[in-house]
Amino acid sequence: MFLIHVGFCMYEVGASRYKHHQHTLMKNTMLIPLVTVTWFFFGWWIYWAFPTGPGLAPSIMNESAALITDKSAFSAAWYVPTSDIMGVNLNDHISGVFWAAFLLFSWTAASIVSGAVIERITTFAFGILAIAIGSVFWTIDAAWGWHFDGWMLKILGYHDAYASGVIHAIAGGFALGILCVLGPRIGKFSSSGEPRNIGPRNPWLVTVGLFLIYTGFWGFYAACNIPIFDLGPEYGMEGKTFWTATNIYVTPTTLSGITFNFLMSLSGGLLAGYVVSKGDPFWTYSSGLAGIICASAGNDLYHPIQSMIIGMIGVVIAYKMHYWVERKFKIDDAVGAVAVHGYAGFAGLVICGFVLNGYPSSGYSVGAMWDGTTYAAINPLGMFLGAIIMFFVLGMIPGWIIAKVLHGMGKLRIPREVELAGLDYQIIEDAGNDEKAVASSSR
Amino acid sequence: MATVTNWIDHLSASEVQGAIYPGVGSEGILVLIGIVLWIGWHVISNMQESKKMNDIARRRPGKDDWKSNSPDW
Repeated sequence: MFLIHVGFCMYEVGASRYKHHQHTLMKNTMLIPLVTVTWFFFGWWIYWAFPTGPGLAPSIMNESAALITDKSAFSAAWYVPTSDIMGVNLNDHISGVFWAAFLLFSWTAASIVSGAVIERITTFAFGILAIAIGSVFWTIDAAWGWHFDGWMLKILGYHDAYASGVIHAIAGGFALGILCVLGPRIGKFSSSGEPRNIGPRNPWLVTVGLFLIYTGFWGFYAACNIPIFDLGPEYGMEGKTFWTATNIYVTPTTLSGITFNFLMSLSGGLLAGYVVSKGDPFWTYSSGLAGIICASAGNDLYHPIQSMIIGMIGVVIAYKMHYWVERKFKIDDAVGAVAVHGYAGFAGLVICGFVLNGYPSSGYSVGAMWDGTTYAAINPLGMFLGAIIMFFVLGMIPGWIIAKVLHGMGKLRIPREVELAGLDYQIIEDAGNDEKAVASSSR
Repeated sequence: MATVTNWIDHLSASEVQGAIYPGVGSEGILVLIGIVLWIGWHVISNMQESKKMNDIARRRPGKDDWKSNSPDW
């Protein structure tokens, strides 16, 4: 999964212009320590504390709708940064591994945002925004819609096995909220408002980066599963033993099935992207990713051909929406992150509601929508509302508000002179002076 | 500072203490130090970035000036 971040860095640098390369790389790199330390301080705690909302649906562990901070087995009480579980502890051999697995998702959420805002955001502002999406908002959505005790599963029948919404839609929405305040790069739009293409400067770096993201994404799929688990006793089925892989909701799937679906949705995305973009490499590669993202919500259960078709649909929606939003609202999404992650993720959730309509969202109990004490079945309305929560409520709105505050402080955007000269102007000038000094001494 | 000074004694105790890092019990202070370092990083790096941006903005280089400084490959 670490390869996802390597890929994002390569992709982002390849998409930026030479005079901004090094700043672009450092911005994305520094989100790693910032999100990691804040994930240690409070992000991991939020995930375990917030499944109930709080106040929206009672926990199946302690039947309370309050924050889960009691002394039960899966309580946030164990994951405060002062807990002795958060370190080398002979009574706990696994917490840090889970902590790190979720942290890698946190990096991904922040890295998605990073690409959209290149060449004009300050590193200070991006650091704050990265912490907000990586250690606060995505972890709230994971508690609500990914945790086995999450209120969205119970009330809405929400299902998002490989994170169409909990990572991609929210990060895309968050990026869009920032872009609304940040504004476009200088020269992106003509005086009449016509968008101009600022294409990737290093297509090789972009494409190799996307290959690495595919590779890491495959690892992400495996990391979202419990590889082997006995569901008989887990579901309270007396005398029944049934060993299987499960998804994150502890409902059954197979590693075989998700391998079919991962590759078929990647292929659907590539096929559709090639046609819709008329063979543009940048969009075709991105479309492979968008295809997987769109099918991810239900890739634990879809048929491979369904995955492929859903991947294709997601790509067409993402591509068309990108250019429509760009032209209509003058939004400069430099790498298409809002489209590939946000629109494809949103569409994937909605489609999942129809294709998996009627499947139980959990194995622990089956109940009615809005009930809250049992788990609703997957359904189109619940998934649509889930998509709204991911993209707008936890994504776009917080992104817009934080960006507004940073803008009000004069800290969001770099000065116009620096944007024109290049964020790396000083570094390049220093390198030029070093070069001259070396040349003069070797005459 | 050492939490363990003899592994055999430690592991043969009737109730083995799980946490074995140095300074068990001082987690609150460690977290406080960590938070100060984290916030401090934002403050210092922001000052550095602002200074760098202001310096470049004051000189007002042209959009292609960087090319004349690009080193030989």
